[in-house]
Amino acid sequence: MSDSGLSRRGFLSGATIGVGGALAADMRGVNGLRAEELAGELRRGEKHVILLWLAGGASQLETWDPKPGSKTGGPFGAISTNVAGIQVSELLPKLAQRMHLTAVIRSLNTKIADHGRGADLMERGRLDDPGLRYPDLGAVAARELGRLESTVPDYVSLYTSTEGRRKGTSGFLGARYAPLFLAENMAPPNSALHERLTAAEHQDRAALRDLLSKRFAAEHRSSTVGSLNSAYQRVQGMMASAGLFNIEQEPAEVRARYGPTQFGEQCLIARRLVEAGVPFVKVARAWWDSHGQNFETHLELCADLDHCMSVLLDDLQERGLLEKTLVITLGEFGRTPGINASLGRDHFASAWSCSLSGMGIRGGVVYGATDAEGHTVTDGEASAADLFATILQALGIDHTHEYMVGARPTPLADFGSKPIQAVLA
Amino acid sequence: MNSDASAHLRSCVSAAAGGLVPRHRFSGLLIGLLLAAALLLFPCSQPAIAQSPTELPLELQIDASIDQQNSTAGVPAVEQADADTLLRRTTLDLAGRIPTAKERDWYLALPAQTRQQLLVDRLLQLPDFDFHLRNSLDELLLPERPNDGEFREYLLTAVRERRPWSRMFREMLMASSVDGPDKGAAQFLKSRVRELDDLTNDTAVLFFGVNISCAKCHDHPLVSDWKQDHYYGMQAFFQRTFSSKKNVLLENPLGSVRFKTTAGEDRDAKFMFLTGAVVADATPTLTDEEKKAIEEQVRRLEREDDAQPITVSFSPRQALIETALADQQLYLARNIVNRTWARLLGTGFVDPPDQMHSGNPASHPQLLSDLAADFVQHDYDLRRLIRGIVLSRTYARSSRWTSEAAPPAAQTFAVAAARPLTPRQLAASLQIAVRSSDSWPSVEETLAKPDDWLKRRTDIENQAGAWMREFEQPAADFQIAVDEALFFSNSDRVQSDLLRDGGDRLVGALRSAETPELAAAELWRVVCGREPSAEEIEVVRGWLARAPERRVSDMQSLVWALLAGAEFRFNH
Repeated sequence: MSDSGLSRRGFLSGATIGVGGALAADMRGVNGLRAEELAGELRRGEKHVILLWLAGGASQLETWDPKPGSKTGGPFGAISTNVAGIQVSELLPKLAQRMHLTAVIRSLNTKIADHGRGADLMERGRLDDPGLRYPDLGAVAARELGRLESTVPDYVSLYTSTEGRRKGTSGFLGARYAPLFLAENMAPPNSALHERLTAAEHQDRAALRDLLSKRFAAEHRSSTVGSLNSAYQRVQGMMASAGLFNIEQEPAEVRARYGPTQFGEQCLIARRLVEAGVPFVKVARAWWDSHGQNFETHLELCADLDHCMSVLLDDLQERGLLEKTLVITLGEFGRTPGINASLGRDHFASAWSCSLSGMGIRGGVVYGATDAEGHTVTDGEASAADLFATILQALGIDHTHEYMVGARPTPLADFGSKPIQAVLA
Repeated sequence: MNSDASAHLRSCVSAAAGGLVPRHRFSGLLIGLLLAAALLLFPCSQPAIAQSPTELPLELQIDASIDQQNSTAGVPAVEQADADTLLRRTTLDLAGRIPTAKERDWYLALPAQTRQQLLVDRLLQLPDFDFHLRNSLDELLLPERPNDGEFREYLLTAVRERRPWSRMFREMLMASSVDGPDKGAAQFLKSRVRELDDLTNDTAVLFFGVNISCAKCHDHPLVSDWKQDHYYGMQAFFQRTFSSKKNVLLENPLGSVRFKTTAGEDRDAKFMFLTGAVVADATPTLTDEEKKAIEEQVRRLEREDDAQPITVSFSPRQALIETALADQQLYLARNIVNRTWARLLGTGFVDPPDQMHSGNPASHPQLLSDLAADFVQHDYDLRRLIRGIVLSRTYARSSRWTSEAAPPAAQTFAVAAARPLTPRQLAASLQIAVRSSDSWPSVEETLAKPDDWLKRRTDIENQAGAWMREFEQPAADFQIAVDEALFFSNSDRVQSDLLRDGGDRLVGALRSAETPELAAAELWRVVCGREPSAEEIEVVRGWLARAPERRVSDMQSLVWALLAGAEFRFNH
């Protein structure tokens, strides 16, 4: 790409900058494994994850684990679903009619109830160890499900609201698997050619940059220095795939189905990305952190979740994508059963819920249980690591598979994690 | 422990052992000889600060310790960085920006032997130093809120007045709400007051270099130092802190932390510092009625603007401050010394910097202790510490590593690290790199008119504040994301602002340069702070030959290629 720009203009006429040889990344262990795995896996680019991130922590009592009539139940009731014996909050009427697609886990006990570390844990399935930064689920999916030669981004994160905004991290997997992070607009920022530049000028100066950076990179061989040049190598591909974010390209009736809300439009973008082969899309919906006015907050946010996720599931199913796409609802934690003086619910990580739909999932299942008021898990306690093992298994990825980070074997899901077989197809 | 957990522990422990650098006890005699040799070889690096006769300058203590350990371990150190590299590095670290071409002229004209000391002492006097130290402390203490105006104003005031770190620690943790520039000190706690775990752990991590969060749910599995008693002991110091309706931080005279041990026992936490030192609760015994009245008053304070303020006879936060300042293990000092070292050298003696415990010993324990003791002895003076570090030969080593062999481990400090610029360093440096060399005052002019430079530097600081959001704050194993490459490649801000043409702009200077050689010299002096190599001049010659009329777009591409390049992006 950049070489052709150079040779066409021929401005170099033999000038070279010494020190040849490609820059080797520091983590040969990580990159080395990759090639072996590729040989055995021809079906990359065909599995996808859409993570609906309920930022701030949604209440399990107002979503998947209602406790109507109890001291902690709050004002909303429970409704029956299209699966006999399963009830969810009355705030999720549309999802209740799609319960056969979804497995609910009601028994998460993840212990950490502060936003920062709670999000660390639920994004990565474990907390960082000293000196070892773990990749989040998106980065692992990008690496395990993406194609090296792919021209689309392999991890897209849409996070438009400011509350709790986190970019996500690819940890020890490196910048190659960092998310394309969309915070300001729903189009990738800076992905269009500037009006005062021609494509040729753009490519020529990129080639000039590469040339002038070569010597420094060769004399400073760290993965951080290498990451700068890798980032510039991906610019052209990212510019080419920008149209995927333009929902104007969808028929009006499809857009009307998803609705005019931001979350709806982002779910539609997620579907477009998945259809184009993007392995992992995260759509964050904020801000569920209802320390005050929990019930008003959930009335509004649950309606949005209920509608958008229902349309998304239908749309994926109609296009034959749901069997290849895992849709997850998750946040950093749930909310206290106890209702505080401001009619709010506070942070709570001891007994809360999440949902899994689509690929690899046995729909119409509830796994685990909490006590009558929702204070503790009474059956099927699951940790963050167990959830991650379950997600990886649903995608057909061996959760015990180990990356070598330096001399340290590091399994995809944390040591001791066990997939929840009951929710797996 | 089940087998999976033990596999996890084995993995952690073997990884830690694999990464260990052999450590050796120093021979006192050898150190003495090395110091004497260092003194003979580098007499001019004696600092101007008055020394007691037995006290060696910090930079010599540093070099002796680092060199001794490397020579014992057979780690060869690379050569010293060249003058241009050292000027750029030191200016980025002390002034938060690249040097101007005029500053480079001044520096290169100085006698080589005294150059670094003259540079450091000049930079310490500039307003740039205050801005940059403020920014560094802000990035450390309030990373989630990089534009908290009150907090930044407080830090700038404190840095300008050269307040001791111990005093700043006191001001931030007392958080008394006085009007004026010190008001912002309370933001450290205010921004965390809603989460007791954040108050507890962030204070321990950022001020004491200790992450005790693992000890919340159980005694730390790997670190015998940290028990649940320590976590909840630290939490007890903050448990009574609350924010009133008027957003003032107050303390409740009542309240205690009760936790469940892993053995299932309910236990009341003591006010316990990391060393195990315990402070007694000096609150007088209250009757039930008095307690009720207090609870009512606290409730009103949380809800009503005009509630009566509450006073306490015993302040747990003040007890924490006094305990930390009296601590003989110097947690407060060792932490900031280690973090300052890490900021200037790329890696701390203790790494990661929040893992200061017996299971993760410092690479140079004696040096860390000595620097911490010196820091306390000199009234917690950050400038003295920073000055000592940047005058050392260890700091001045080259960052180039061209051998086929793997470079020495980071904690040997035998090769300088290429450190990514912080968002503010990068943004401020861009403001300098896009203007022509002639558009800056000489060092002599800056000296003669300090107010003019303050105004100019304040403008750069403000501009940097508007640009920094485009870049990410570096963390451990930092990777530059494609977003940044897209921003540089396609954003209108870069195209229309940074690459603007004009009389005082670099693009304008390149257009009017008489020869390709002069254009190349201007370009590399301004952006990279050095002369171009023969190959680089050849590249410019080839580029300009395509369109001899010097089109703006061609000049812009040249400037862009260096601004977006690796050499500019790093402090090396």
